[in-house]
Amino acid sequence: MLSPSVDNLVAQLTRLPGIGTRTAQRLAFHLLRVPKDEALALAAAIVEVKERVRFCRECGNLTEEEVCAICLDARRDHSVICVVEQPADLLSLERTAEFRGLYHVLGGSLSPLDGVEPEHLRIDELLARVERNGVQEVVLATNPNMTGEATASYLADRLRGRVRVTRLASGLPVGGDLEYADEITLGRALAGRREM
Amino acid sequence: MAGRSYQTEAVVLRSFRLGEADRVLHLYTLAHGRVGAVAKGVRKTKSRFGARLEPLSHVEIALHRGSGDLQTVTGVELLRSHHEAREDYARLSIGLIGAEAMLRLFAEEEGNPRAFQALTRFLEVLDELAPAAGARPELDPLALAFQLKLLWLAGYLPHLTSCAECGAAEVPLVGYAPRAGGAVCRPCAGLTGALGLASAGLAGIEALLRRPLAEAGSAGVTERTARDALMVITSSYEYHGGFRLRTLSA
Repeated sequence: MLSPSVDNLVAQLTRLPGIGTRTAQRLAFHLLRVPKDEALALAAAIVEVKERVRFCRECGNLTEEEVCAICLDARRDHSVICVVEQPADLLSLERTAEFRGLYHVLGGSLSPLDGVEPEHLRIDELLARVERNGVQEVVLATNPNMTGEATASYLADRLRGRVRVTRLASGLPVGGDLEYADEITLGRALAGRREM
Repeated sequence: MAGRSYQTEAVVLRSFRLGEADRVLHLYTLAHGRVGAVAKGVRKTKSRFGARLEPLSHVEIALHRGSGDLQTVTGVELLRSHHEAREDYARLSIGLIGAEAMLRLFAEEEGNPRAFQALTRFLEVLDELAPAAGARPELDPLALAFQLKLLWLAGYLPHLTSCAECGAAEVPLVGYAPRAGGAVCRPCAGLTGALGLASAGLAGIEALLRRPLAEAGSAGVTERTARDALMVITSSYEYHGGFRLRTLSA
């Protein structure tokens, strides 16, 4: 309606997650308003990230090299692998500064209703790493929802007998009130209680 | 506006992410059948609803009907979480076959209490199920029995007691013809393009239909019989509904 190039920009922005037509229009007008070098810097960043960023050959994390910095870090414990669904989950775990092992990014979770089967995830690569690198423990840190639990259950079956398999604990959020906890989370917190 | 909010029992059949922290739910409700709803903020760790709205959960839910296609979840109480079914991959695979069958066969916003009761019973039996290691979920007797009962409730029950094409009784039935709506005799098999069906397969399907869901595992269904039952189910889906289940074609 405005011009073919603006229409095209709006259409491309609409393809981003969480962006509807109205938001895409607002973003397009913002890009038209800002200085040219600012808009081109965004375009260049998109080009650069698509050209340089790839998946780590070992763990599937995002990296600009063949192998990511975490996998190359000799100070980390290479006998423990923490399995996550997405690179964003890895970042959350790194923020805790509690885990000093390596990671393995699956690239999603099992979801038969959506056609995501084991062969669509980096599961064979995980099994190969466990066999190859003398791994002692695999921590399953998939999301505590249906697809994450299904993935954890599937991986536990595949890894049982080869290596120690642990699952992230479920429980109450720090700072929350017990009376607001839902029964499933509270039940899990009780089941996973520990001696003091 | 009064009357636009209501409360009903429901089972969560499917959910997927929406935006930053929301989920879209496909529900099968006791009062209104299939309903789509948005559960806002349920992916945040502080959400009280999140754990209660996982797929296969049986809940008492409060919904608000707005102007859009999707209703809004305003309250949830858990009746049965069915986490036993969700947390074991073999059980979950069977559960999702049942959930997808419900989604496809009962796609209208129209209450069907018998279908709802069958669904909740299926999930209760699934919680206790111990599938054999390495068994294929699509051939599990409970999955087959539930789908056959759903076909019956949806009005697509294959006719299996006499030839569905010519009506002849007391003749051996040798095939299954979706076009005819059931099993057919030898002369009609060629005319209707019927798929081969063993007599043991027919007996197995009848046993699965007749027995309660809890007894599906003891219906004496062999792998051959299970394959015949699965063939009848999938060809009924394709012929009557024009669809295939993703969970069966994996």
